[in-house]
Amino acid sequence: MTRFAPSIRLRLTGWYSLVLFLMLVVYASATYFAVRHEFFEQLEDDMHEDFEAARGLPADARYQTRIARSEDKIREQMSEILVVLVVGLPLVVALAGAGGYVLARRALMPIDHLATEARRITAERLHDRLSATNPDDEIGRLTAVINDTLARLDSSFAQLRRFTADASHELRTPLAALRGLGETTLRQTRTPDEYKDAIGSMLEEVDRLTHLVDTLLRLSYGDAGTVRLSPQTIDLGDLARDVASSLAILAEERNQSLDVEASEPIKATVDRLVLREAVTNVIDNAIKYSPNGSRIRIQVHGTRDRAVLEVADEGTGVAPELRDRIFDRFFRIDEGRSRQSGGTGLGLSIAKWAVEVNGGRVSVEGGTAGGSVFRIDLPRAAWKEEPV
Amino acid sequence: MRLLVVEDEPKIARIVAEALRSDHYDVAVVGNGEDGFFRVSAEVFDLVVLDVMLPGRSGFEILQALRQQHVHTPVLILTARDSVDDRVVGLDLGADDYLVKPFAIPELLARIRALLRRGRPSDVLRLKAADLELDVVARRAMRGQRPLDLTVREFDLLEYLLRHQGHLVSREMLAHDVWKEPRRATPIDNVIDVQMTRLRRKVDAAGAPRLIHTVRGVGFVLREDEP
Repeated sequence: MTRFAPSIRLRLTGWYSLVLFLMLVVYASATYFAVRHEFFEQLEDDMHEDFEAARGLPADARYQTRIARSEDKIREQMSEILVVLVVGLPLVVALAGAGGYVLARRALMPIDHLATEARRITAERLHDRLSATNPDDEIGRLTAVINDTLARLDSSFAQLRRFTADASHELRTPLAALRGLGETTLRQTRTPDEYKDAIGSMLEEVDRLTHLVDTLLRLSYGDAGTVRLSPQTIDLGDLARDVASSLAILAEERNQSLDVEASEPIKATVDRLVLREAVTNVIDNAIKYSPNGSRIRIQVHGTRDRAVLEVADEGTGVAPELRDRIFDRFFRIDEGRSRQSGGTGLGLSIAKWAVEVNGGRVSVEGGTAGGSVFRIDLPRAAWKEEPV
Repeated sequence: MRLLVVEDEPKIARIVAEALRSDHYDVAVVGNGEDGFFRVSAEVFDLVVLDVMLPGRSGFEILQALRQQHVHTPVLILTARDSVDDRVVGLDLGADDYLVKPFAIPELLARIRALLRRGRPSDVLRLKAADLELDVVARRAMRGQRPLDLTVREFDLLEYLLRHQGHLVSREMLAHDVWKEPRRATPIDNVIDVQMTRLRRKVDAAGAPRLIHTVRGVGFVLREDEP
């Protein structure tokens, strides 16, 4: 595209000069004609006076009295004015334009300055911010907006970097174990049972890796927004009971009670399988981190437009400053413990993704009697029977 | 039973062929699409294991050509791409089943067994292994003279193990076929392990020879002798 595109400064000056010129032309012509009119009127008045004076002359039939005044002077004056206007007007416009051009440069200088500063900020220097001379003027507000955008970019980049670092760490751990197992087993001749044990152990690591890669892949599909959902209207209470019954055996093993409290149907329009995974992960999390013999309550309730599923446990709870980060990928409160229980550190991230993709929010709070409450909050669907 | 494996990755081809041979199948292996196409057009196989991404002709092309020639040999597709589209394309073209890489060998074997069994009455209603007996209709289980008190899930699990008697069963297969979970996840793995422990306690009670064995890193197997 090689269209002529003048700078803002040039366009500003051009328009300003054009408007000024037109206004001056109108003003000048008006002035010109008003003055001319005034002059002729004056002439007329003067002639009238002359006429009166002439009338006072003694009457004499031999004379004829004629009154005349020359218009030459007026015409001369008028043409002088015209010359002044025709020559002066472009001169004034030119001067004003030049002044405007200088002023526009001054007015636009902060923008140039902003551009130069912004050019310095690259992906590696996203923590830099733009400076504004006057934060309250237009440029200042623009700077603030750009800085806000930069801050958001910065935090997503930081998150991405942390995620990449975490992911490679998580992938390396099973890889290192695999390699180590292979190397140490091959170092000397062993009994078939020992080989079996080593190979089994390696397969476990492979399983872990496969699971991790699968989960990461799903999260990245989620990020890319390429997941197709098949929404249907379901009762959250049904879903809670379904998940609770499939996980009940885990709670049973630890003498925990897993109760679902859902008195009335609370409907939400969601992809059932995706949301089910979120609920499964949240409940599994509660079972895993609650002491033996404690109670886990799953409550389903709703307001006029929200459908809420809450999982309350009697575990150690989540410190308030960690409550946002607990849904971050690979975030673990207690590294060793969750690793032993076979978690990938992605369960709650998957839950968060699965709830959000269904238009809801997931959050964690402290329970009234200790422990924590995980809340899945979804838009409530109008109560209607699904056509079968 | 004659099987053809079309797979260009030599390691995977070798492993699959070896696993199939150890299950007493007669296996032919080809390493590219052209050869694969030639073999399935010229010879008769009972089942074809077909990789999608092949040099020469893609697995989909081979499958399409095969079905256009009205050859209805069961085809199991192997795909590295875990995308719904690929599965749909494969199944639309007439594939009978698919597996996503990396797959577990026990699962591949189970799928192949199921495909080969298809069309034949296979619903055995009484299952037996050593002195363990299962009446599928009455949902009763006996170990020798001792009736087993099983929950619904435990019964389903035992039935599944008995139906795959002597063959390895992965957690993946259990999650999918017994728990009807759409995908395997950590919570479900834990559920399976706990359930298996309980079932084993009931089936392999003190004194009787063990029937249910855990194969570390792979899954479970029900058989009379030690693996």
